[in-house]
Amino acid sequence: MEIVIAGAGAVGMHLATWLSSESHDITLIDHDQDTLTNIDSNIDALTLAGEVTDFNLLNRAKVASADLFISVTSVEEANILSAIYAKKLGAKKTIARISQMQYLTQSDILNIKELGIDELISPESLAAREVRHLVKTNAASESIEFENGKISLLGLDIDEGAAIIGKTMAQMADMHQDSRNYVVVAIKRKGQTIIPKGYTQVEEGDHLFVITHTDGMEEVLELTGKRKIEVKNIFIVGGSRTGRHLARKLSKDYHVKLVESDPEKASEIAADFKDALVLNFDGTDVEKLEEEGLHKADLLVAVTGNSETNVLTCLVAKDRGVKKTIAMVENMEYLSLSQSIGIDSLINKKLAAANFIYRYIRRGDFVVLSTIHGVDAEVMEFNVTQKCPVTKGRIMDLKLPEGALIGGVIRDNKGLIPRGDFEIEPGDKVVVFARSECAKKMSKFFK
Amino acid sequence: MYGFNFKMIASLNGTLLMIVAGMMFLSTGWSFYYGEEWQSLVYSGALTLLAGGALRLVNYGNTNTDVRKRDGFLIVASGWIFMALLGCLPYVISGAIDNFTDAFFETMSGFTTTGATILTDIESMPNGLLFWRSMTHWIGGMGIIVLTIAILPLLGVGGMQLFVAEAPGVTPDKLHPRITGTAKRLWIIYFLLTMAEAFALKIAGMSVFDAINHAMATMATGGFSTKNASIAYFTSPAIHYIIMVFMFLAGVNFTLLYLGFTGRVKRVFKNEEVKVYAINTLIAGLVIGVLLILFNDVGTEEALRNAFFTVISITTTTGFITDNYLLWPNFLIFIVFVLFFSGGSTGSTSGGIKIMRHIVLIKNSFLELKRQLHPNAILPVRFNGKAVPQNITNTVAGFVLIWLIVFFIGAFVMSAIGLDFMSAVGSVTATLGNIGPGIGSVGPVDNFAHIPQLGKLFLSLLMLMGRLELFTVLILFMPHFWRNS
Repeated sequence: MEIVIAGAGAVGMHLATWLSSESHDITLIDHDQDTLTNIDSNIDALTLAGEVTDFNLLNRAKVASADLFISVTSVEEANILSAIYAKKLGAKKTIARISQMQYLTQSDILNIKELGIDELISPESLAAREVRHLVKTNAASESIEFENGKISLLGLDIDEGAAIIGKTMAQMADMHQDSRNYVVVAIKRKGQTIIPKGYTQVEEGDHLFVITHTDGMEEVLELTGKRKIEVKNIFIVGGSRTGRHLARKLSKDYHVKLVESDPEKASEIAADFKDALVLNFDGTDVEKLEEEGLHKADLLVAVTGNSETNVLTCLVAKDRGVKKTIAMVENMEYLSLSQSIGIDSLINKKLAAANFIYRYIRRGDFVVLSTIHGVDAEVMEFNVTQKCPVTKGRIMDLKLPEGALIGGVIRDNKGLIPRGDFEIEPGDKVVVFARSECAKKMSKFFK
Repeated sequence: MYGFNFKMIASLNGTLLMIVAGMMFLSTGWSFYYGEEWQSLVYSGALTLLAGGALRLVNYGNTNTDVRKRDGFLIVASGWIFMALLGCLPYVISGAIDNFTDAFFETMSGFTTTGATILTDIESMPNGLLFWRSMTHWIGGMGIIVLTIAILPLLGVGGMQLFVAEAPGVTPDKLHPRITGTAKRLWIIYFLLTMAEAFALKIAGMSVFDAINHAMATMATGGFSTKNASIAYFTSPAIHYIIMVFMFLAGVNFTLLYLGFTGRVKRVFKNEEVKVYAINTLIAGLVIGVLLILFNDVGTEEALRNAFFTVISITTTTGFITDNYLLWPNFLIFIVFVLFFSGGSTGSTSGGIKIMRHIVLIKNSFLELKRQLHPNAILPVRFNGKAVPQNITNTVAGFVLIWLIVFFIGAFVMSAIGLDFMSAVGSVTATLGNIGPGIGSVGPVDNFAHIPQLGKLFLSLLMLMGRLELFTVLILFMPHFWRNS
């Protein structure tokens, strides 16, 4: 696939790294020569310096023959314009990053597709979507949905006293005779990722990754000693764009209090969201947070522009008894730290955007929903056709690579957790969990 | 530095007077039709035309056509005063009203669509003059439409920007990009509604003359009737209902009426002010109606009809009467008195404080309680779903406070002039709110004839202040306004 990426910011870089490692042909355009020189030495991609709205430059980047054009600079207008140019020049698909809310909420007024942009992405909105999802499945620290939640992957911390401690995988599998409700696909223990075998025991302090279907969710939560928290009161600290997207998404269903320190910004937000209570003070002012009922809050999301503030605010909130905290961080290296520093979930808007684009590219072929933070593994979704080798027998006879397993199957619109004697049929959708090194080998079974 | 553009101000007033003159000539038609004395109206028309022409001549050769905000205040106030000064000529020349003060009061009451009268025997007046009297209402109503859509929002008086935000002005809700375009559309609605009402009243049994007069007085929310007993003269319930409906419509924002006429009915029902206005009318009407049934020995239909008629007549500041509310039980008189402070919608021809301001203030007061609980929260007042900027909330609060201060000072002045307590309070609310009838000796079946001359002049000023939304007139008393800097 020939892909042109305009803008070598965090999102662009992240995408370029991922995509080039999958042997796509990447051309990266950015106005800053220094960044590009730096990229040249790290990523296997062609780099071009110049303005992304310069159509001569776009021509030189061979946009005309590109399968995909992605504009992810920090300037919204430039992204939109360059995507339109790229489409006119012949790019097959275009994606533009935007930041104004109106493009997402009222996109039908201005027909964006007709202009030549196939997909609009807003990292802020995607991050907000991730948070909302975490709020809904709030016992888990990670949660990825497949086919609208028919199959989901949950990341769960195992705390002291959970019923699951000491059980082996085989014991868990035997608890139900005919069908399974969940399967443990990976254990993160002391910074290492273990793909569990039948004899692997669950220990206290483990972080489990479990694939389950809709009906199995309750059982998984019970077994791992997680109660679903009844979320009613939510604090959002920071009136950033992500904060506003969040307020919009959450204020209908929950009591939302949004804290913003800039009075002008705060009045602006107050004017826009009538269901959210907008408070004007510094989010690090614990006393004022307490005054507004911090101890009664079920969830605190810190989304100011400063990662460190967000992390600290969450830590303070956790200390004051807030049941769940989510912090937005800019630095991707922080993401793997969440458990060790005691914050329930960390989100990163750029990763959210990159994930979205990644998923978009793989649509129809297979979908890598996410590389899970801190775990060297991928979750993929495949559509099974007649020709797929995977239909040639029972799962246990297929000789699937070590370190990969079939976690869930969606058949007739229902999620199933397959056992070893399960046979996959054409038309199924299959969710596969695989260590990165065997992901390629695994995907051959679905060719 | 910039001074006043007096020449332009004079010229605009001249144009206004020429329109008034035209309407005087129009009224002569009825004098001829009824074979009455017609000279007084023609002479007045000629004099007014002359005065208008003279004022326009002042501007001859003036190249400075700039009209600034300060000129705007002066034009609005002087316009109404000039109209009242020359508009009273027919009464004076014909001798129908024997002194100038009374004639001036009557005309000011007409142009400000108040409806307070000094006439003790209306039915003895020549028909041509009665028509001119109703015509002053109708012209006043037209003037108010322009005032509210074009001038007050520009001057930023008493939160009128809110009305702009919803209706014409700077937003996409604007009916037409140009003020004249918007005004024309609203005048057409005004004209059509007047025609419709006159037609309906004729069908219901009024004479053509009475029908047109009452239609003009209704749509302007004025209240001058051609009968001594006001609407109570007409015994047909149908007439009462027709007038009730049109009074209610005249109390609705004309921009919304236009939207309704052009099929955008949804927008009308989504408007917060209309909703509150309707619910307010409904509740007050039902409460008074039910209590009248219980305490006064009248039939259910008649009680409800009189209750709703009075409620609509008072809230829209029209002032038509079917039943003397001063004969009702005391607590009902009090409810009516409270309604004196209501007013209709912004952008209608009604006067008073107006519903929008009540909504904003009440919401703000309740939010103040919430602000005590959340000292750091930002809680904007929402009107029609949009946040009202704090400075506009303050302007609205200022307006209502000044309204009340003027009311108290006014009542004090009227008591000093010699009125009893009830009459002093009643006469001030009736004129400042542009309603017409009040309480005490200026109640629904009485008139203002017995008020001393000085009192009449003072009440004329109150009518003007109420009509022009206070600030427009009060600012003229600020020395700063006149300073050339």
